[in-house]
Amino acid sequence: MKVVVVYKWARDPEDAAVRSDGSVDWRGARMAAGEDDPAAVAVGHAIAAARGCGLVGLTIGDGDASWALARGVEQAVAVPDAPSLTDNAATAALLAAAIRWIGDVDVVVIGDAEAYPGVPAALAGALGWPALLGVSTATFECGRLVATRRVGDSEQVVSLGLPAVFGAAAASGEKRAPGMKEILAARKRPVTAVPLAELGGTPPDRLESRGTRVPEAGSARVFEGSPASAARQLVAALRADGVL
Amino acid sequence: MSPGPDARVRTDEMNAEGWVLAADTRRLAAMVSAVREAGCGVAVAAVGPRSLAEAAAAAGPDTVAWVETAENVPAEAYAPALGRALSAARPRVLLAAATPPGRALLGAAAIALGSVVVPGILRLSVKGDTVVADRTDLGGRVIQTLGSGAPVAGLFGGEDVPSHAVARAPIERLDAGSPADIRIEKTEPASGASGGVTTADRIVAVGRGFKAKSDLGLAESLAAALGAEIGCSMPIADDFGWVARERYIGRSGQHVSPRLYVAIGISGTPQHLEGVRDAKVVVAVNTDPQAPIFRRGDYGIVGDLYEVIPALEAALGE
Repeated sequence: MKVVVVYKWARDPEDAAVRSDGSVDWRGARMAAGEDDPAAVAVGHAIAAARGCGLVGLTIGDGDASWALARGVEQAVAVPDAPSLTDNAATAALLAAAIRWIGDVDVVVIGDAEAYPGVPAALAGALGWPALLGVSTATFECGRLVATRRVGDSEQVVSLGLPAVFGAAAASGEKRAPGMKEILAARKRPVTAVPLAELGGTPPDRLESRGTRVPEAGSARVFEGSPASAARQLVAALRADGVL
Repeated sequence: MSPGPDARVRTDEMNAEGWVLAADTRRLAAMVSAVREAGCGVAVAAVGPRSLAEAAAAAGPDTVAWVETAENVPAEAYAPALGRALSAARPRVLLAAATPPGRALLGAAAIALGSVVVPGILRLSVKGDTVVADRTDLGGRVIQTLGSGAPVAGLFGGEDVPSHAVARAPIERLDAGSPADIRIEKTEPASGASGGVTTADRIVAVGRGFKAKSDLGLAESLAAALGAEIGCSMPIADDFGWVARERYIGRSGQHVSPRLYVAIGISGTPQHLEGVRDAKVVVAVNTDPQAPIFRRGDYGIVGDLYEVIPALEAALGE
């Protein structure tokens, strides 16, 4: 059996420019590693090592697929012509098709990205597997997956039978980013490219965008002037609000 | 005659076009209100203890379908079975909180129903065969209006509101079938979960705008003047080790709900902002006027923290 770690499956919202009229320009942004992707790789490694099974990386779109190879993942599968989709369920359907294509998979770990929170859960739905999200660590003990996660003010240890989807949330920054030598070596390794057509084509994006706009409110009231003047205005506002 | 509190019903008998899926009480009244404003009858599927079903009944829906969780079985275990049960109800809209269990419930139901999945939902409306949704996107920088002929399963991105419901909705038991094989083995207080920033009424949080650990004295002095606790962003605790890890505020750190949160030299990454989502008043001090923290903040000063902090202390003393 295999563990699959899904990485570089979405664009970074910070790569999008928002014009003054509220229109959005992605400026050719590629799929990028999310802040939770290193955590997903770490969780995938931990489970694969405890089970003595292989760890396969899966990426979609036009990002550099060697990212996971540089982080010790044995094999990388890419769907290079996969588009970025608005519907989180469509993205999940595409990932699920690729996971079925890889075959013999019973654990999927995906970065639990703040910007695309519907994808990990919809992926579990598309596979028909249970989902445990917001996971910080996981392993495999006595025939069960064992994961830790934070729930409110508590830390919870949860065990699951196979198969399962984990959404991994970063509890810290990447501890050991690969060096240039590892990155260059990874780029020389083969990546298995699977065209979308082989997965049944692009899932229909059933959402029609009717436009974007800049929020009317929601930005901070910024106090201008010298530091002393701005500070006095701020303190006055906080006193008027009753929080001081 | 309506069923009693322990009657067992099927979802298709509940005649609701809109469903709120709840594993806890977070933003429950706001989600019920959003579905109601879409023009739908509202049912809540409450997956948890009886107290959750009672809270849901007071949040303003027409009815509550209660899925009682077994001891040490998390709500997520019921997601696949609840999804199948809800598909019989053929709802037009589903809404859930963007919490781990809320998302798991929504994901399974959305796929079972064949709906689209949209995060950040602010408003919904059902117009003929189309569901129209306003959602916040790109970290709050834009609001996007989307339309779909498919059912829409949304993660709620709006603020909480108090319930104005005058009548309690009836609670009906929903037999969602067997849970998946998931068990809670152990629950312990997270490190630093009691006291400190988690219960603080005021917090001064420090970020990478500080150039050296010794400079944190400025923030500590301001915190003392405000009667505030010190918090920090992830790199300050994790990469630099300048502040104890239990004071790190963010999605995988502490989730705080102070009346006043002063973020100094913090840009406001999504994972940090998740930790301050329940703060009442957020003040941002940053040199970069484009920093995302200003979009979440209520008040801001664009400036050098080394000048602004002493000025703030002086203003507090006036």
